[in-house]
Amino acid sequence: MKNPFEEFRGQSTRSKGKELPLDRILKAKEETLNQILKGYENLLKNEAKDLVWLMQYSTVIKAYSIAEEAIKGINYAAEDIEEFCYVLDKTDQVPYLITGPAGVYISALCNHAEEEEIVLRLQDVGIKINLLGYRLPEGKRLVIEGNVGDFTGISLEGGELVIEGSAKNYTGAGMKKGRIIVKQNVGFNTGHGMTGGEILVGGRIKGLGKVVGGKIYEKGQLIFPSDDYRPYYF
Amino acid sequence: MKKVWPKVRRNHLFPQIPPPQLVESDEEVALEIKSKQMTINVNFLQALTEKMSPEDALQALLDHGISHYMYCPWDFNTHLMLYSEAKKVLRDKRLAQKAASYFMDVVANTYCVKERETKIPELYRHLPKEGIQRILALLYQVIWGIDLGARGEEESIKRLSRIPYLEKRLWKESIKKFAKTLEEFLQKEMESEQKSSKKAQNPLGEHSIENYTLEEIDKGLREFASSVDDITEFRETVEDLKDELAAMGYTVGGMGRGAGNPIDADLLYYMKLAENYTLPIKKLPMEKSGALHPHSHSPWEVGKPVQDIDPWTSFGKIMPGLTQTWVRREGEVFGEMEKIPDCLIIIDSSGSMTNPRERLSYAVLGAACACNAYLKNSKRVAVYNFSDAFRGNKLILDFCKEKESIYWAICRYFGGGTAIDLNDVMYLLKQSEKPDIFIITDMQITNLEKLIDFFNSIENRVTAVHIGENIYAARFREGLKQKNNVSLFLVKDKEDIPKIVLGKVREYLSSPF
Repeated sequence: MKNPFEEFRGQSTRSKGKELPLDRILKAKEETLNQILKGYENLLKNEAKDLVWLMQYSTVIKAYSIAEEAIKGINYAAEDIEEFCYVLDKTDQVPYLITGPAGVYISALCNHAEEEEIVLRLQDVGIKINLLGYRLPEGKRLVIEGNVGDFTGISLEGGELVIEGSAKNYTGAGMKKGRIIVKQNVGFNTGHGMTGGEILVGGRIKGLGKVVGGKIYEKGQLIFPSDDYRPYYF
Repeated sequence: MKKVWPKVRRNHLFPQIPPPQLVESDEEVALEIKSKQMTINVNFLQALTEKMSPEDALQALLDHGISHYMYCPWDFNTHLMLYSEAKKVLRDKRLAQKAASYFMDVVANTYCVKERETKIPELYRHLPKEGIQRILALLYQVIWGIDLGARGEEESIKRLSRIPYLEKRLWKESIKKFAKTLEEFLQKEMESEQKSSKKAQNPLGEHSIENYTLEEIDKGLREFASSVDDITEFRETVEDLKDELAAMGYTVGGMGRGAGNPIDADLLYYMKLAENYTLPIKKLPMEKSGALHPHSHSPWEVGKPVQDIDPWTSFGKIMPGLTQTWVRREGEVFGEMEKIPDCLIIIDSSGSMTNPRERLSYAVLGAACACNAYLKNSKRVAVYNFSDAFRGNKLILDFCKEKESIYWAICRYFGGGTAIDLNDVMYLLKQSEKPDIFIITDMQITNLEKLIDFFNSIENRVTAVHIGENIYAARFREGLKQKNNVSLFLVKDKEDIPKIVLGKVREYLSSPF
């Protein structure tokens, strides 16, 4: 009697198949993401004791330098930064999320990326990340599709930051030069402590902070400096 | 075809699909799949003769078609999921359909290239590369590592090549990234279609609901209803596909199909979701018939009748101490057949209850499950949907077997006060022989005491389901604890619904609810 399964001898149904370049791309992506995640966890270990992180001038500077140290040696691209933002949204991969250090970390990644222009598509990310665009240097352009949190673009150092959605409070606080374009609305204390550069808001500005210098536009109209808003001297 | 088909079928481990057919068509499409039947365009194969052999082209087309069946999308539920996720990103029906279609192609092709010996790359090498087809060809070159003759650079290819196409569990996220990256190209394609009034043809066939049989669509909708987060997502998807479903003859009819009224997506949602739950119905207890039947043995003694002797247990002997005789008792045999009665569903749609068209309503779902259970047993169902019944906020549906009408009645939402008119209930109870009552409410009824008295006075089996725990439910429980024919169930979540047992009658000494 002929064995009906004879013709399948040697054919494993559980074969892994050929290795495609797709597999190598995904493996490299996974490794890079793991390295970025490890850097983020190190930052949290050092900065966020008991899962608390206070938003202060000194803590932000310290967190940024730790983040810069953590990302040294990681070979990443703009797409990896976006992937990291998606992963932050899913708590099963990231043990805990604190948007302050996360924003500082992402800013460090963006500032040190090889690309001059980075586009982060964050429309589907549920969380609004704070401190994005921190210290964006001259020559860099960061476009964020989606809405962002507080302290966006603070201490901008000459780069161009474009927010396709809305931003919350303290947008552009302490910026020295550069440009922030927000297509929709911004919150309170916009431009607080700003000494130079431009903020262009396509929608509504809920309130200005104590602005020192630079220019702020609302729906194409210059509102700082103006008769209603004069420079503030600390 | 006779040579190629068996080889391809074996290669894919004998999928259960009918042999493909060859047709001559002037369309620029090589392959079409309708209700699992694949048709190959002979003219297309002939046009490719100079570039590749017809057998190889045919094999590639069949590999592609079978991969759609065996891997992506696999079933209608997956197709709906991909479309729904793409629509969240693109916000346009036609764009989402295109994105889902191209995504399925990429996944099916990549799966074939990785897992099978296939001529698909060779086929793509010879296909025209314009618009999105060029982008996909560039993508294939990167992820397969095979030169397909596509030239040029595109920024988006880098993003597209990082998507894990073969990870099924990540398809929900992957389709979103895929759709977002391809958005501008999809829009360009749509604009050129509008300008030329000619639809851009996918040479390997479009993916639409015509690819599936009615049974697959039914099953897919059922699974999709269970998988979505809320009713609005289901409604949006089904509303988009309403015309295609109607064209295929799928409407909200008696069984969810066949000629009937146009599809009401909300009704369909509850219908499909309820099909995932099967509630058991206890049949009515047997009645004594007056006949005697053998019950047990007792030792025979001289003087007892001999006609009741059991020769088997007596070992064939008639001797005191050995012989056994039957003791007869009035039997619980059928004087009447065991049966399931009709059911009267009383559903509360007052303001305190969830609007079933806005969010998932456990009341409507529970009532739908009860309705299905009785209809499956060929019984009739009546519906009394009430809010403030004395002000006219009520709907009465007499006993019938029309599923669609019953669902309409159940899904009706008044959103007003809460008062039940017991005269209506009594009227409906008279329309059938001792029907079961299935009442589902949060018990926040203004005339709850009257309802309790009413249930105390009737002998019909009552299955009462209350949504959430509150003092009124406790009062209801207290008021009816002496009644064996009333069972009370609590529903807080979907998972509580299967615990409902319709028509349960509490036995003497059973544990209280």
